[in-house]
Amino acid sequence: MVTNKKLIVLFLLPAGLIYFVFFLLPTVWALYISLFDWSGFTSNMKFIGLNNYEQLLADQVFLISLKNTILILFLGGAIIFPLAFVLSIMINSGVRGKRLFRAMIFLPNVIATIALTTLWNFIYNTNFGLLSSFLKAIGLEKLSKTLWTAPENIFFAMLVGVIWINIGFQLILILAGMDKIPAEFYEAAKIEGANQISTFFQITLPLMWDVITVSVVIWPISALKLFEFPFAFIGIYPPLQVHTLGIYLYVMGFGKRDPIYRLGYASAIGVVLLAIVVITFVALRRIMRREVYQY
Amino acid sequence: MINENSIPSTRVSYTRQQRLVAISKKVRKWLRLIPSYLVLIAWSLFTIFAISWVVLTSFKTNRELYADVWAPPAELQWENYIKAWTTVKMGSFFLNSLIVVTVSVLILVLISAPVAYVLSRMKFKGSNFLTSLFIAGIGVPLPLLFIPLFFLTTKMKLISTLPGLILIYIAVSIPFTVYLLTGFFGSLPRELEESATIDGASDFQVYWRVMFPLASPGILTAAIFNFIFLWNEYQIALVFISEPTNRTLSLGLYSLQNAMQFTSDWVGLMAGVVIVMVPTIVLYTILSERLISGITMGALK
Repeated sequence: MVTNKKLIVLFLLPAGLIYFVFFLLPTVWALYISLFDWSGFTSNMKFIGLNNYEQLLADQVFLISLKNTILILFLGGAIIFPLAFVLSIMINSGVRGKRLFRAMIFLPNVIATIALTTLWNFIYNTNFGLLSSFLKAIGLEKLSKTLWTAPENIFFAMLVGVIWINIGFQLILILAGMDKIPAEFYEAAKIEGANQISTFFQITLPLMWDVITVSVVIWPISALKLFEFPFAFIGIYPPLQVHTLGIYLYVMGFGKRDPIYRLGYASAIGVVLLAIVVITFVALRRIMRREVYQY
Repeated sequence: MINENSIPSTRVSYTRQQRLVAISKKVRKWLRLIPSYLVLIAWSLFTIFAISWVVLTSFKTNRELYADVWAPPAELQWENYIKAWTTVKMGSFFLNSLIVVTVSVLILVLISAPVAYVLSRMKFKGSNFLTSLFIAGIGVPLPLLFIPLFFLTTKMKLISTLPGLILIYIAVSIPFTVYLLTGFFGSLPRELEESATIDGASDFQVYWRVMFPLASPGILTAAIFNFIFLWNEYQIALVFISEPTNRTLSLGLYSLQNAMQFTSDWVGLMAGVVIVMVPTIVLYTILSERLISGITMGALK
């Protein structure tokens, strides 16, 4: 048993050390920094308690970033989940090339976000973009003149790209869940004369509930920390309409164009972000909790 | 289950009506599948088309591009790539990325596998808590870590260096990797360990000679996943790498995209995009099944 103990410590130590120093410690440290007024250049940090958080409540840019982040979470989720389900059912409906379709829909997930934003940038380009020239080619002259990245459209233009990427991840999870349901259940339903819709709600959904729970928890984690796609979506500086909390934190802490260096304030944004993750996680576990069928 | 469209081959002759029923069933099945095919093909074509278009454009001249965005290049402009590789230094960024990502993934896997092994197969006081602690990191939004890490790496003189980036990459990848590998180690049969112990192998030998090789499909999946993720990452590099020569490939592409407003060199940018995309797409083409089944395995426990 002594050697066993030694082994456990030895095995946990290297990863544990790096994880502690470069992940856990900074997380706790961020909570601490958020209580201070600090520019980072001087060692004197002024303790201001919850003042940063009070200021956040009155900060228009923060509130817009918060609204955008929440909108991505809920609106994006409301589109991604039904769509991923429909696509999964289609892939499972008996078409040939099931694996190929699955691999194609997942593909954007393995390409660098920055490469994808360059692509979408060109799709939406007003003068010679792919979308405009496509619409012109099929005779929708008026629609082709839409400014897709104008302030009133840019958020939704960006959201389309985010959905296109993230749907693949949800799809592979849902498909895996569907695949493990034994075929006998469907045969029994068929014999009983159940139609496709009731089969879906009576068999498919309840039997893959554990997988759905995982995919429902994964979406907020990726939605809430969304940074890369909106940040590079339209070139050098993300406009307010696509600001997320992650982007605003970056701008406040490091903003390359006009450095602001309000590090306590930026950390407070991060803490709010973490709080939303935790709240969403707890709420989802409550909502999703139900009997898991063993089979 | 009797397949709808399978016609029993043992019977020699069919009545006319039987044949008609069989055919109409087949037709009906195809009609039912048409909407699925249409949607799935359209979706896949969009992605294939978008990527092919980027590749095609990267071989055109800017003049050709402005004249007609759809037309293929009259002649393959390899200069675009030469320029991106040398003048814009994508070549040296490529090397940076290759070093940073390979080293990160190697160390990450070597130190995460023992953690996953211990946590999934040995029960000791606090083992559940440690498992939760390691995996909880998946939920922490990375931007929260930027400011503390910035000062930590500055103090350690690691800011804007490749070793500093490697350490951060390893740290942020530990939670998901441990989660993934815990699933793999947990699924291995217990008898193997026991018989190896009876044969006189030490605990470390059991791990290194028996369990590690057995888990190697899972370890490979974790390695591929992290390679792709870190290769594509630019958010962390953006914060921690200010020294231009230490840029990673994604970060290099980001600055190339930013320079566009001065250069308007779209074809050069597309060449850069292709250079970034090729390695992960090649990996994915070879290993997509393994990658997808590895990612979904955790959700299926």
